[in-house]
Amino acid sequence: MPATRDLIPYAEYSSPDLSKKLTVDATLTHSTNGKTTGPSDHVLGAGAVDNDKPSEAKSSRLGALRGMLTTLQDDVNEFLTQRMKDADAAHTRAEEEADLERRVLDDGVDEDDED
Amino acid sequence: MVQLDLHAKPGKDYYLSIGLEGSANKLGVGIIRHPLGNLTPTNKAEVLANIRDTYITPPGEGFLPRDTARHHRNWVVRLIKRALHESGIRGTQVDVICFTQGPGMGAPLQSVVVAARTLSQMWEIPLVGVNHCVGHIEMGREITDSQNPVVLYVSGGNTQVIAYSRQRYRIFGETLDIAIGNCLDRFARTLKISNNPSPGYNIEQLAKKGKNFVDLPYTVKGMDLSMSGILEYIDNLANDLFKGKKNKILMASSGQITVEDLCFSLQESLFAMLVEITERAMAHVNSNQVLIVGGVGSNVRLQEMMAIMVKDRNGSIYATDERFCIDNGIMIAHAGLLAYRMGQVTELKGSVCSQRFRTDEVFVEWRD
Repeated sequence: MPATRDLIPYAEYSSPDLSKKLTVDATLTHSTNGKTTGPSDHVLGAGAVDNDKPSEAKSSRLGALRGMLTTLQDDVNEFLTQRMKDADAAHTRAEEEADLERRVLDDGVDEDDED
Repeated sequence: MVQLDLHAKPGKDYYLSIGLEGSANKLGVGIIRHPLGNLTPTNKAEVLANIRDTYITPPGEGFLPRDTARHHRNWVVRLIKRALHESGIRGTQVDVICFTQGPGMGAPLQSVVVAARTLSQMWEIPLVGVNHCVGHIEMGREITDSQNPVVLYVSGGNTQVIAYSRQRYRIFGETLDIAIGNCLDRFARTLKISNNPSPGYNIEQLAKKGKNFVDLPYTVKGMDLSMSGILEYIDNLANDLFKGKKNKILMASSGQITVEDLCFSLQESLFAMLVEITERAMAHVNSNQVLIVGGVGSNVRLQEMMAIMVKDRNGSIYATDERFCIDNGIMIAHAGLLAYRMGQVTELKGSVCSQRFRTDEVFVEWRD
């Protein structure tokens, strides 16, 4: 499919501490069934049968774009999920450090543990 | 008299509109045709296509935003194609693309508006954002030819008694907590009955077999009503029934109360409350017409009970069948086209959806 490769999506992320460009390898084959775009685990656990799958990508320009977009969406989802996890972990660490400082400054007397 | 044709295209004696609805678990696409001139019983709107696909969850489960949005995203293009095919028109022939702007669930609304924006840019056709409740009211009026009714809007997410006054649909009474459809759906989950075609429909079928009435709380608060307490009460009764716990409320003279009796009692109690506030609204605004819209409006027992009250007042009752009662795209196409004919359009940057969008926020420019 030579003429189908002219529509290639990408995504850009920028925040004060990080800029990132996410791209798709157009030489690979991409499916419309993404890793992160399926039904939620909750409904699958409740016995749901998935009748709402996206249609297969056609071998057209737009079909190829749909497949690549699904892959890109997966990458964006995984990237952002990881960012949120990192932010959560950093927040927890900062709280633990603040807690340590408070205990040192209070001469190791933890008021909560007095009795 | 309102002028509806100031924005008509020269040389064309009709308008075409496509509507996309996805504020809850139904995805709807509708295509409507309006002739020039005011809509009257002899100059009516014509439904060219009205297609719906419902996201159905396993018994005992409600529909979650993420999975509902996924259903809409994955079906919307296929439904639009089917609607265009059925109506026999090309997409570029429509005058306006209408979408539900709110109220509703955020993620499903968002996934449908993306489709509307895409069509608008692809075909270079203006967008109109539509209030979901106003869509129900306008479609109900068009189908039933009711002039100026008191509107009872009852669905899974909304319960309102509405009357028109000075270019607004004004809310006379509403639920203080959960919607009536939500109350019925959640009781269906407690009973673990099927969500196909809809939990409310299955409760209605069970209720037909109920014989004994169980007293439930009756919670009309002025013009408003409250339903969460009733749900809690009947949920407890159902759980006692399933566990075989002794409960004297569950004993009737003819024997044990059944699930069917509970469904029957719940419907009778809730609908009696609706009839009461609707009747009071009719007296307030001096109207003798009632129009029932929204998914719960397709419940035949509700229509019957309302008809008894309306007959007492020498009035008339208007209701539609499931094609127009239950969420659909055609009502969005219709209400959006009315706004478009008055020159209202929604710019791309103003097409953000909102979960909260009250009926009385809409300027009803197309009515006197």
